Amino acid sequence: MALRPVEFHILLALAGDDLHGYAILQEVARLTEGDLEMEPGTLYRALHRMLRDGWVVESSRRPAADLDDERRRYYRLTPLGRRVASAEANRIARLLSVARTHKLLSRA
Amino acid sequence: MRSSRVAKSDRRFAWWLVWLYPPRFRRDVGLGLADALDDRMRARRSAGAAGVVVRMRAALDTIQNAGAEWFEVARLKLSRFESTYSTHTTYWADVTYSTPAIQKGRPMFDKLSQDIRYALRLWRRRPGFALVAILTLALGIGANTAMFSIVNAVLLRPLPYANADRLVSVWTKTPSFPRGLLSYREYEEIRKQSGSVDAVGLFLGQSVNLTGVDEPQRLIGIFATGSFFDVLGLKAERGRLFTEDESAPGSVKPVVVITHQLWRQRFNQDPSAVGSTMTLNGTPLTIVGVLAPPFDETKVPGDGYFIGGDLFLPAAQFPAPSGLRGAGPVMLGVARLKPHTDLRTAGADLDTIGRRLLAEDPKVQAGRSLFVESAQESVVGTSRPALILLLASVGVVLLIACVNVSHLLLARAVDRQKEIALRAALGASRGTVVRQLAVEAALMAAVAAVVGLGLGRWALKALPLVQPRGVPIPQEVPLDLAVLAFTGGVAILVTMVCALVPALRAARPDLARTLQAGSRRTSSSGRRTRDLLVVAEIAMSVALVAVSALLIQSLLAVQRVPLGFDPENVFTLQFRLPQNKYPKPDDIARFFKAAIEEVRAVPGVQSAALVRAVPFSGNGGNVGYVAEGQTAPDPANLPQARFHLVTPDYFKTLRIPILSGRDFTDRDDLPSPLVAVVNETFARRTWPGDDPIGKRFTTPQTQGPITVIGVVGDTKHYTATEPAVPQLYAAHYQVPLIFCSLVARTSVDPLSVERQIRRAIWNVDKDQPMWFVRTLEAQVDATQGPSRFLAILLGVFAAAALVLAAVGIYGVTSYGVAQRTHEIGVRIALGASADRVVRDIVGHGARMTAIAVGIGLVGAVAIARAAGALLFGVKPTDPGALAAAGLGLAFVSVAATYIPARRASRVDPVIALNDE
Repeated sequence: MALRPVEFHILLALAGDDLHGYAILQEVARLTEGDLEMEPGTLYRALHRMLRDGWVVESSRRPAADLDDERRRYYRLTPLGRRVASAEANRIARLLSVARTHKLLSRA
Repeated sequence: MRSSRVAKSDRRFAWWLVWLYPPRFRRDVGLGLADALDDRMRARRSAGAAGVVVRMRAALDTIQNAGAEWFEVARLKLSRFESTYSTHTTYWADVTYSTPAIQKGRPMFDKLSQDIRYALRLWRRRPGFALVAILTLALGIGANTAMFSIVNAVLLRPLPYANADRLVSVWTKTPSFPRGLLSYREYEEIRKQSGSVDAVGLFLGQSVNLTGVDEPQRLIGIFATGSFFDVLGLKAERGRLFTEDESAPGSVKPVVVITHQLWRQRFNQDPSAVGSTMTLNGTPLTIVGVLAPPFDETKVPGDGYFIGGDLFLPAAQFPAPSGLRGAGPVMLGVARLKPHTDLRTAGADLDTIGRRLLAEDPKVQAGRSLFVESAQESVVGTSRPALILLLASVGVVLLIACVNVSHLLLARAVDRQKEIALRAALGASRGTVVRQLAVEAALMAAVAAVVGLGLGRWALKALPLVQPRGVPIPQEVPLDLAVLAFTGGVAILVTMVCALVPALRAARPDLARTLQAGSRRTSSSGRRTRDLLVVAEIAMSVALVAVSALLIQSLLAVQRVPLGFDPENVFTLQFRLPQNKYPKPDDIARFFKAAIEEVRAVPGVQSAALVRAVPFSGNGGNVGYVAEGQTAPDPANLPQARFHLVTPDYFKTLRIPILSGRDFTDRDDLPSPLVAVVNETFARRTWPGDDPIGKRFTTPQTQGPITVIGVVGDTKHYTATEPAVPQLYAAHYQVPLIFCSLVARTSVDPLSVERQIRRAIWNVDKDQPMWFVRTLEAQVDATQGPSRFLAILLGVFAAAALVLAAVGIYGVTSYGVAQRTHEIGVRIALGASADRVVRDIVGHGARMTAIAVGIGLVGAVAIARAAGALLFGVKPTDPGALAAAGLGLAFVSVAATYIPARRASRVDPVIALNDE
């Protein structure tokens, strides 16, 4: 089963650190070098689904106090979410190795 | 960096958007989403994007995703329905899944979401198109929302009192006054006899002097009967209100009730204010209570209606020299009808009471009858025609905007004709195409409605900045369900108007022809549709421009009316003397003489006088009169004259010409025989062809005959548009009244002498408050505020209509020409000159324009007839205004046609033909 790109990107963004919504958008933009500029609505629809399916939870942990903004909701990857992300990454890795054998990758 | 105001409004906008998601979604992640939307808008703003674009993108995102969430919700519900439906038929699961209801339901959602995605894709491909269309509609919807909010707040929302639908104003009618005050006797009789009235009260606002404080102050007192509070359902928040017994004539209960506002301003909400004493009009009164504010005054029109004052005094305290009972008609009446009593029944009931009174006391009650009117009507009725006209005008602007968008959609549909025809050939039904167009229009209308609602509310916030006094629009126009429903309804209407024409056209693509390679020729029916749109657009703009031209003309006509006096460089202020400090006419006259002396001594003052009511102050009164030697008509039908009380030099100060005879002098005082100055109209009507000087007349209010000593020119008193009426000036020193205004002609800027003039009067009485300090010019100007406001608003709408129409005509012609490139190329190749091509295209446009202008002008005359009360000095068929509107539109239209025509004439035939 392939993940939706939006969801995979969110999982990747959250793999590093707990983030709040807008920070996820920024992180995704950074990861894709600006290729994927998600709109907030798209992000939260995906987040809503992922919350329901137990891939992410609202995090109680906050970053350092001086960086924190009281009203923010932070999201964290659950073990299940991590497994989903890892399964998807492995799937893509397999595809990549096929692509590599056929010399489809521009960079080795 | 965005300002905190923008930040706050972005935040609100984000919350609005989140509100469009399903409730469950909002509960789960709404907070985070609002933050993210807000953050994104901030980021885009600081990257330099325009505010509109920033919000537009946020709105688009929301529409797309909130729509998808709602479909998700609907689908979940449907599948739950499915599963309950199939619980006991597990074996037949396959069969159940093909239940018609479900089959019908699901594809419909799928199709709809498909259509929405399709429309959004089209927008993203051509964002300029979507932006222009949506912004056009949003402006139109915004203007309509704002206008309707005002109409709703002023005309539709019930008055903010308990049982507002049963509140009525009680009036008397006499041959000379269609709406008159009630006397205390009339009030008592209604109270005792009426079977249709639950409660009735009397009230009247009047200035009262507050003394015994640092600087004497003027407050607005409302003299009322105890029953007044009961009628309106008013309560005390502290202490108590006064009772009917305390307000009845003969009672001298020194009590006063203050409003919450005054309690806050003067007493800093100190609870011990209740029980303390205020010296009002020279009498110490005990504060017995604070009135609980029954509503938020900033949100209702008309100064809080009946309670727009600072404090309430018992009616018995009303400063009438002969007491409340002997004062004649003095106060306004308000009543609450019994439940399920209609106006007609109540009217008949009061009429009977009026007749009974007339039979009992034919002399006093002569010509008087009683009637009721819904209280709301008497508060806001006069502003109805103007508001309706404005609402109709913004409606027209929106219609023109719709026509433009309709054409945009049509043009795009025609551009996609080949694609559509191909799809149709592949089996897509015409319904699919129509549905797509309708969904796109609906989506546009929805986005435009959201943006428009925001724009409209924002415009209303700016309204108090430009709104003149005397326009009953509340400071804060409320947003309620009616407004939301209106905006929603407008959006649906917009959808229908925008989608109708393109849908009709797209529904019958000419398959065979459009599939021919390179065919961009349109059928003649396409041209006809476009012509129709143009004609509609021009006709509507002509009508709107013509009506506003008529209004502007009447405004100019009003300003040209000679006032009969010279308002330039005249200082005015008002004051009133406390009755108990100046109990005798002698005392008042003495104060007047001394005050005038002091004011005349102020440097910069050329001449000064006192007058009971300054022109254009809204104050004034009438009196009936009978000329000596002429038979007195029925006392109810005495000829009426406007009554003025003036001191010597009044005519000189206001530069009212003395046509014959003389001005008053200081010797025309209490002991000497009564004298009067009349205006030209008075003299002409009463003694036609005779010299009025030395003639005598009587009035019911004065003893003995009054001798005419002079004739002066006619003046306007309430409005510049009033007809000339008989006017009568009596000597202030002979009939001293406590109410007074000062007028002073100055050689310097009138307001620069304010301090000295105040000090001059305080030299005579240090306790005397003064108010309404202004120049006479400002006073005159202020009365024209409302009509100027109307003309400006209408002018703005007309300008918007003109611009939209010009853009529309330009767009339609450009498009038509572009489609005919091939044909034009052929004609040029065959030897047609460029001029000839231009002439043909412009000629066609001109013919359409001529038809449209004709229709529009007929419409304008009809509208102007219906709104005749708003016009002055100009007929609905005024050729100047109509010609200006017609020619103006014709010029704009021809110019908008000429530009694309000119471009078409430069077509290179080789390129045009190679296009095939």
